[in-house]
Amino acid sequence: MAGLSKGSIAALIAAAVGALCLALESSAPWLVKFPAAWVLPATDWVGAFMEWFLALIKPTARAFSALMFYPMEAANYVLSHTPWPLVICATTALAWTLGGVRMALMAVVGLGFVLASGYWPESMNTLALVAVSVPLALIIGGGIGILANEFPKIRQPVQAVLDIMQTVPTFAYLTPLLVLFGFGPVVGLIASAIYAAPPMARNVLLGLERVEPEIKEAAIMAGGTRLQQLFQCEIPSAGQQIMVGVNQCLMAALSMVIIAAVIGGFDDIGWEVLLTMRKAQFGQSLLAGLVIVIFAILIDRMSGTLTQDRRDMHDARIAWGIVALGVVVSAAFWGSIQQPGAYGLFNPVADSVDRGLSSFTSANAEFLTALKNNVLFYVLLPMRIGLDQAVLPFTWGFAWTPMMSAALFAAGAAAGVVFALRGRVALGVMLLIAAGMLETGISQLPWPFVLVGAGALAWVAGGRNLSVLTVVLLGTILLSGLWERALLSLYLSGAAVFACALMGGAIGLASAVSPGVWRVVRPVCDMLQTIPLFVFLIPVLMVFQIGEFSAFLAIIAYAIVPMIRYTRHGLVSTPDEMIEAATASGATTWQMLKDIRAPYAAPSILLGLNQTILYAFAMLVIAALIGTTGLGQSIYLALGQADVGLGISAGAAMAILALIADRMVQGFAEERRKALGL
Amino acid sequence: MRTSGARLSTPPLTELTQVSGSETPAITCRNVWQVFGNNADSALKEALSRHETPEAAAQDLRGKGLIPAVQDASFDVKEGELFVIMGLSGSGKSTLIRCISHLLHATGGEIRIDGENIVEASPKRLIELRRKKLGMVFQHFGLFPHMTVAENVAYPLRVQGVKKKQRLAKAQEVIELVGLGGREKNFPRELSGGQRQRVGIARSLVADCSVWFLDEPFSALDPLIRRQLQDEFLEIQAKLRTTIVFITHDINEALKLADRIAIMRDGKVVQIGTPADIVLRPVDDYVREFSKDVAKGQHAHVSSVMQPGEHHVYGADDPGLRQDMTLDAALARCMELYEPVPVRTDDGKLVGVVNPADLAAALQVEQG
Repeated sequence: MAGLSKGSIAALIAAAVGALCLALESSAPWLVKFPAAWVLPATDWVGAFMEWFLALIKPTARAFSALMFYPMEAANYVLSHTPWPLVICATTALAWTLGGVRMALMAVVGLGFVLASGYWPESMNTLALVAVSVPLALIIGGGIGILANEFPKIRQPVQAVLDIMQTVPTFAYLTPLLVLFGFGPVVGLIASAIYAAPPMARNVLLGLERVEPEIKEAAIMAGGTRLQQLFQCEIPSAGQQIMVGVNQCLMAALSMVIIAAVIGGFDDIGWEVLLTMRKAQFGQSLLAGLVIVIFAILIDRMSGTLTQDRRDMHDARIAWGIVALGVVVSAAFWGSIQQPGAYGLFNPVADSVDRGLSSFTSANAEFLTALKNNVLFYVLLPMRIGLDQAVLPFTWGFAWTPMMSAALFAAGAAAGVVFALRGRVALGVMLLIAAGMLETGISQLPWPFVLVGAGALAWVAGGRNLSVLTVVLLGTILLSGLWERALLSLYLSGAAVFACALMGGAIGLASAVSPGVWRVVRPVCDMLQTIPLFVFLIPVLMVFQIGEFSAFLAIIAYAIVPMIRYTRHGLVSTPDEMIEAATASGATTWQMLKDIRAPYAAPSILLGLNQTILYAFAMLVIAALIGTTGLGQSIYLALGQADVGLGISAGAAMAILALIADRMVQGFAEERRKALGL
Repeated sequence: MRTSGARLSTPPLTELTQVSGSETPAITCRNVWQVFGNNADSALKEALSRHETPEAAAQDLRGKGLIPAVQDASFDVKEGELFVIMGLSGSGKSTLIRCISHLLHATGGEIRIDGENIVEASPKRLIELRRKKLGMVFQHFGLFPHMTVAENVAYPLRVQGVKKKQRLAKAQEVIELVGLGGREKNFPRELSGGQRQRVGIARSLVADCSVWFLDEPFSALDPLIRRQLQDEFLEIQAKLRTTIVFITHDINEALKLADRIAIMRDGKVVQIGTPADIVLRPVDDYVREFSKDVAKGQHAHVSSVMQPGEHHVYGADDPGLRQDMTLDAALARCMELYEPVPVRTDDGKLVGVVNPADLAAALQVEQG
């Protein structure tokens, strides 16, 4: 074994364990399926503990909830009772101040659309929630960031907690909050504040850490007290990064407020989407979804200007003029202003979308069903339950025979041997393992193989510590009885990530090679990244109905963006000297891409893959709304039944999967970066 | 933190580091150590008690994975003196100036400013000292990006609670002094490098400091601007006569500005002396290497090569040399005694004449 690389050793170990499991399948079934008798009732324990704990802090929570009720009502009252011309004008004035004519136009058109759609009151309800939760999140997040900066000892633990909070799926927050605060909008408010605080904390800390040392020293030498240094010099110097935090905080709060509509109790725009979706009124659902998108884009672009280095100052007099116009119009037409909810200009459009959709689906039923079934039968199902069970006369037209299994393994082994002989042992063994996984299906992989395989991979990626961490965390899932659901989640997100990596990589490559492609792709990416998770469900649901395939598509649509962006960015950001040196050596465009740009881009592309994985996990839980199996479904069910134990355990299991994937990919990326000396 | 009891070695540079006379030096450093790493304090104490020489102690610390960035630095700076610390990057010069300005807490030793040991000063006292006594200029300027030129310059007064009108008026004065009048409302990003450093200089002067720290203030500027700022800096110093600790890695800058120069290498002060000492009497090859490319004639004076002259008999020629003339100037005077000499081709044909005085003048570097 002396001549083998770390990767080859790991692959060989994993392959050996897998082969052993397969061989012993008939004589020792417990090797494949983890026996139910060994499962610890961890979910119940977590539930019991959490219920005890929640009961303990419930009075405080309820008091806080009662307290939060007032600002929320106030914000709600102000927003819904202010005449809409004034709201529109005030927003436009703000947009003008921040971004000039373009931004102002965007605000007018966007809010005009919202008004015309008839969803104005619901939108204002949503905005009221955001308006209260964001300041809360900014204060909490900013405070955490500043404290972590002041006390370097707590910096690492704080970072770790922030990491975990970002990987815990959104729905998982909701169940304990529901028990704590009872049904109602306050849960949405608190959930969105909790969800939106980490990005703020992260950026504040990052900004403060990145303040030039000499600026800090200059503040000290000027004779400032620590508070003077912090508030007069360091925080303003970090302003741009902190504004990035504010922007992310706003977007997270909006996204969460809309997701929180699932628990209902508040007549907001997210609820409207959910309601119309359930009634299969897709035209209206799309309309409400568009309203959400408009708000998301407006908030994002307007707060985005704050993060820019040099802002043009726009004339404040014009802003005041616009506000004055709003006041005048409101006063002049006080009696004749229609109730903002009464407009329904787009209802006919929505209806015709519905009609058009049903005629489209019925006209193309054959094609759509074929597309869906093909992907299901030939891709998703084999990945899930393996070729041996997925290949049936009903689906593939023939039955899977042991002969075919043998042939598959033989093919894998042959390819493996070929590569091994060429000196690429790790790749060869991995091909063999892939053949085995294809035969078995991800959801039915023997648990010892998954543990050992993941442990081995983690060892290659990040050394012994990561390997131990991976095995222990996966072991926790195994013992808690959520194993099968976790594998189901792993399979669906894995399939989606795989698809994203292929397609996103290809699109990223095309964008890097051709500026024309990037000009088209870029606004689409911007758009997709701004849209709250929830809205992705509408179009896939319209065309493909409830089911795994729709969820698969929604996950891809959401998670593909980072892959595209990072791939392109990595490929185009090769230093000029390297390009010049390659050109001077006589490299063709293709050689340049293959030999210079691609290796240099590898760390960046891996980071993109990492983001894609995290995005896929986040969307997986949301996609549970339209029918997926696995952990996402459990979290969603727990929410419906207010089952804290299941909600928390399933949420933790999701977080564990995301965390392990994150660390592994980061490990590989780090290794590449080191190899390149970056 | 007083280590006087534990010190066994005597500083080797005593005669150069001690200021003659009874007045208190503006800055006194005695056996200053700055060690980076875990538990640096106790590790240094232990190393000092175990070894005789600072070199051995430093070696011991390095062996334990600690970094002795400044080792056993001792010197005095007189009031109104321009003291330059010179060394290559990594020699510990920036660390040393940060110990003296107490941006870093010295791991060991004693640093006195006007007789007060600042290593032991309370945080409150330090703030007071910085407000009243100390000013500092940074290599990369350290300007606050969100403040205008005037606000940057007035900031040291702002933290003291000086009223806005008053502090802006005072800031205006210093801004004029550094030649930035008319730029008050600009932000740092709108200025060139040279202008930014003028802002940094103005800010450090606004509170009427008596001890002025400059950490490679001109290194980030291009050569022409650097020269210009050096000259202006000397003019300002001639007006204010503050005590200055000036860090640089440029030997020419050090020779041009300094009253005395300390040369550092690997955390140790290897030589302290006047510019002429450094150029003419380097203590080792390291210092010699520095002064190799220096036009010595500019920095050394006649007195440094003069010999006792009682037994000589002099001719009629007297070029009129004085002790404090630079060697360049003295040479030029001597050359004036010669008549013009011929210049020929290889085969002996006369092509012209050269005046030796012109030769000497052509070799001289113009003094700014």
